Amino acid sequence: MNKWQVLLVKEIKHLFRDTKTIVQTVVLPTFITPLLIGLIFWYVADVATEESKKTYNVSIYSPSSSVLIDELEKSDRLAITNENSVNSVIEAVTDDNSEIGLVFDEGFADDLISNTSAQLTIYSKDIDTFSQAQSLVIDIVDDYEENIRDKRLELLNIDENYVNPISINEENLTTEAESAGSIFGAILALFFVMYVMTGSMYPAIDLGAGEKERGTMETLISTNISSVDIIIGKMLSVTSSAILTATFSMLGFAIPLVVIFLFYADSINEYFFGLLSAIVNPVALLGVFVLIIPLSVFMGAFLLAISVYAKTPKEAGLLLGNVLIVFIVPCYVPLINPGLELDFVGALIPCYNLALITNNLIAGTVDWFLYSVALISTIVYCCVAIYITYIMFDDENVIFRS
Amino acid sequence: MIEVKNLSKQFKAPTEEKGLFGPKKKPFWAVKDLNFQIKKGSVASILGPNGCGKTTTLRMIAAMLTPSRGTAFVDSVDVRKDKQVVKSKIGYMTNNTSLYDRLSVIETIKFFAELNQISADIYMPRAEKLIEQLDMKKYLNKRVADLSTGMKQKTSIVRTLIHDPDLIVLDEPTTGVDVTGQSVIIDLIKSIKDSGKTLIFSTHQLNEVRDIADHIIVMKAGEKIFDGDNSQFQELDSNKNFTEIFMELVSE
Repeated sequence: MNKWQVLLVKEIKHLFRDTKTIVQTVVLPTFITPLLIGLIFWYVADVATEESKKTYNVSIYSPSSSVLIDELEKSDRLAITNENSVNSVIEAVTDDNSEIGLVFDEGFADDLISNTSAQLTIYSKDIDTFSQAQSLVIDIVDDYEENIRDKRLELLNIDENYVNPISINEENLTTEAESAGSIFGAILALFFVMYVMTGSMYPAIDLGAGEKERGTMETLISTNISSVDIIIGKMLSVTSSAILTATFSMLGFAIPLVVIFLFYADSINEYFFGLLSAIVNPVALLGVFVLIIPLSVFMGAFLLAISVYAKTPKEAGLLLGNVLIVFIVPCYVPLINPGLELDFVGALIPCYNLALITNNLIAGTVDWFLYSVALISTIVYCCVAIYITYIMFDDENVIFRS
Repeated sequence: MIEVKNLSKQFKAPTEEKGLFGPKKKPFWAVKDLNFQIKKGSVASILGPNGCGKTTTLRMIAAMLTPSRGTAFVDSVDVRKDKQVVKSKIGYMTNNTSLYDRLSVIETIKFFAELNQISADIYMPRAEKLIEQLDMKKYLNKRVADLSTGMKQKTSIVRTLIHDPDLIVLDEPTTGVDVTGQSVIIDLIKSIKDSGKTLIFSTHQLNEVRDIADHIIVMKAGEKIFDGDNSQFQELDSNKNFTEIFMELVSE
């Protein structure tokens, strides 16, 4: 074996005899994270179900009676409270005593009778994403409005098509794969980047700053192993851990999906089943994996360079925590802007490119030129990171920095 | 033979003056214009108070630090030019055992032997001899983390000697070691002396030096203040004992 191979075998043996590495690399991505995701989905589904049965409080101020109020009162999911002023309605919504507040204009009924437009103000808080209160009220108001409109048109003997010159038919041609890419692409990329980072972080700290603190780095460089051999051996150990973590995280996602397909296929919604089927796409998973490998090497080398610069594991942890943010933020961008499309510049931004390419690979709309740009640029970053690591390991001021 | 010529090392040390990114740094000479020669097969000791440059000198001789000025030759090999060749000739032991906690004793020995590219048929008989000599058989498969300081010290000795180096460098080998550990080290130094290999060690234990060293170098503030053999050291003041002479030298 070459010297770097001897070092690599030793580092892997040393790393994986530590329970922390096993937990970080295998247990967390394979079992804990899918469990957490499952729990989150279960909680969200449970909240949504509860909301679909919930009765909402609606505060109303109306100077005169209105048929619309009667319509609202008919709904068994709306509990109506009549207030005596606009301020009381606003206060009820502000204090969360009512989900919705309705204020009818003074001339509401007269305006409708005189065939003009009546004013209705709806008060709500737009923070409860699960709340169906507003849509329930608006549906009733829309039905009432439609009814009045029909009567007015009938009175004037005008056909409905006369006031609707264009009839829009919306046909959604989004495929299940595209929907799956849009929904899961960025989330998966974020998880992969997080796992590659967390999978590299502990080994990088242990093999860099940790060895400096324990004094084993001094022992190592006193032998006739070159800086290049040390870098290759250590970097590959960190990278192996990162790739292993990424692999187990993929398994962590795949195993529950397989279980769903095998045992619960009949009990899940057809649309949702289609989305899940689109994710289990060998070309997409392979394409993502090929991109993750240089990204893992890049992160491994970069984190190792920072770790070896740090005086202590504590300092390394602090520095690497900040770096984690730098890598994670680009993954968030496509997550909060689902319509984003990859361009040449975007393909050069690590992690951001992975998020959008994962999206495109699942959707089956990947541009292989941009994929190549992302892959080649990541390999270039890899080389730069390896060179920085080499400079760090070759600099006695860094190695003996204390 | 080891030849040290104008060996110097400059570092930057923080001052009390504050800068934008912490205290400002000022260069200082940790080792300055050091010259000495150590004969092949002799045992040399470097003495001096803390911070006098002993460790820096040993690290430069072992090609772990590059001299700022001057150089050192190990068997005529320049430490500036052929670092890897110099390192292959040296067995270096730091002032703490510095071993990998999660490897067993035998794995540690094998790792350092393989790192020196020695085949098993060469290093195994050598390892077995050292293991026998240091009475380590009982805990060969124990992980380093589970060993006592003395056991770790012995493991460290075997890993230092496994590639049969011509020069052995021990940096304060008895610091922080209990009496049993110290006796292991003393026995090791004596056996190395008997084997005819060259050994340099730095220490604060003056008794060890008096009993073992052929050659004594005393340093103070990065400079050499004495260079001679045991009898020359004693001749500095025949009315005083070894420790008193040393104390007088470093306090001047």
